[in-house]
Amino acid sequence: MKYILEVNELRKEFKDFTLDNISFNLEPGYIMGFIGPNGAGKSTTIKLIMNLLKKNSGEIKVFGKDHIKYEKEIKDRIGFVYDQNYYYEDLTINQMKSIVASFYSRWDDAQFNYYLKEFNLNPKSKIKTLSKGMKMKFSLAVALSHHADLIIMDEPTSGLDPVFRREVLDILYDIIQDENKSIFFSTHITTDLEKIADYITFINNGKIVFSKSKDEIMESYAIVKGGLELLDGDTRNKFIGLREGKFGFEGLTDDIAGLKNTFGDKILIERASLEDIMVYSVRG
Amino acid sequence: MLAILKKDLILLFTNKRDILFMIFYIPFLIFIIDSYEPKWLYLAIIVSYTYITSLSSFYHDIDGKSKYILNSLPMTRDRIVLYKYISIFVYFFVTLVYVGAYLWIINATGLKIVDYFNLEMALKAIPIIMIFTSIVFPSYLLFEPRIAQIIHMVIFLSFFIGMVNLGSLGDKSFIKMIGIFQGNRMLILAIILYLASLIISIKLYRKKDL
Repeated sequence: MKYILEVNELRKEFKDFTLDNISFNLEPGYIMGFIGPNGAGKSTTIKLIMNLLKKNSGEIKVFGKDHIKYEKEIKDRIGFVYDQNYYYEDLTINQMKSIVASFYSRWDDAQFNYYLKEFNLNPKSKIKTLSKGMKMKFSLAVALSHHADLIIMDEPTSGLDPVFRREVLDILYDIIQDENKSIFFSTHITTDLEKIADYITFINNGKIVFSKSKDEIMESYAIVKGGLELLDGDTRNKFIGLREGKFGFEGLTDDIAGLKNTFGDKILIERASLEDIMVYSVRG
Repeated sequence: MLAILKKDLILLFTNKRDILFMIFYIPFLIFIIDSYEPKWLYLAIIVSYTYITSLSSFYHDIDGKSKYILNSLPMTRDRIVLYKYISIFVYFFVTLVYVGAYLWIINATGLKIVDYFNLEMALKAIPIIMIFTSIVFPSYLLFEPRIAQIIHMVIFLSFFIGMVNLGSLGDKSFIKMIGIFQGNRMLILAIILYLASLIISIKLYRKKDL
């Protein structure tokens, strides 16, 4: 099995939105960050992978197998964390655990108790009394307690304080030390991805903008700053997105060499962050 | 099957609304259905309890927000629907035990003379429950929840009115006159409806966007 997750030409049509034949792959042992603005299609893609939505066309393979034909076997090896709590609010952590555990063939109580301790969760607390962060911790504890080989997460760090966010990232990093496991997670907080992601898939308006290794992305994009007099019809085209102020411009480019040749030392070239790439690409 | 059953039973005994329903619904029915034959009251209680608990569990998992969790666990959609259909029989037995104990206590206190177990009525309840769920379950998959709720209400209220009618008029009641409870016709109809409904629900749920 070359890829742990393969998405090929995946299409889903809604009345006012289309996920437009998207494709990307994730190899075992890596973390892939899935970024894009609100409404870009991140949650739709995750729901399609989890078979919560039915695709119009395309193919999804998990662990090299069709995600519907081998649904039970595949989901036994997936840990999931969603952007909000869908667990039964009236139950305690222990009651919910007892329900979920019965579905998994490799549920590990010791592991679950370890995470409860790590996350300071009281097993007797009712889920509805937990804060948003605590609910996310509980979801994460469940996702990590049945020896899943693929962890799929939809905005897992949103609403969490920086200390716990870092804690989560450290845990995820530990998980992929096992080279057979992978993590696929969507997020708005691109700085989290800069810390731990190996691959970034950027989706905008239902289309994949890129799906590449983080290093490749960081090398191919740059923020360029310079005076307004440098901009004309031709040079503007070299920017993916451009912001013009009174005293000069700042723009994102993937033609670093071309701009260096044209402007020489009249421009300042800086490293682009993932946030820069996302914001300029979306805004233009 | 056992995992989903365990989930349903834990939920049944932890949800405040369900607990209140379980405690107060029997006195409510005793008050509403003033029958000279306790067996009709028993039938009404068994059918109502089994139907409501089955529907509540079905609705939670198929259309409530917890559907995302259930469908993300290692289980196929076909199995989820199949288990929901089978679980009405489990709920039926849970109801027999619970209602039996509850009515026995009422009997023992002498507040009212009620049947706490009646095999004839228990057997009559099964096809009624099967028919009700066979109509209502797929309507939750086919229509938006509001319309499905209306279908549920129409069916449940019709049953209720029928029971009040039967309880108060006995042999002269409309239900008796049309002979719904006579012979095996109802059971055969229930089995055909139940199987057709199961197949339709499996097909609908397979294609449903959650």
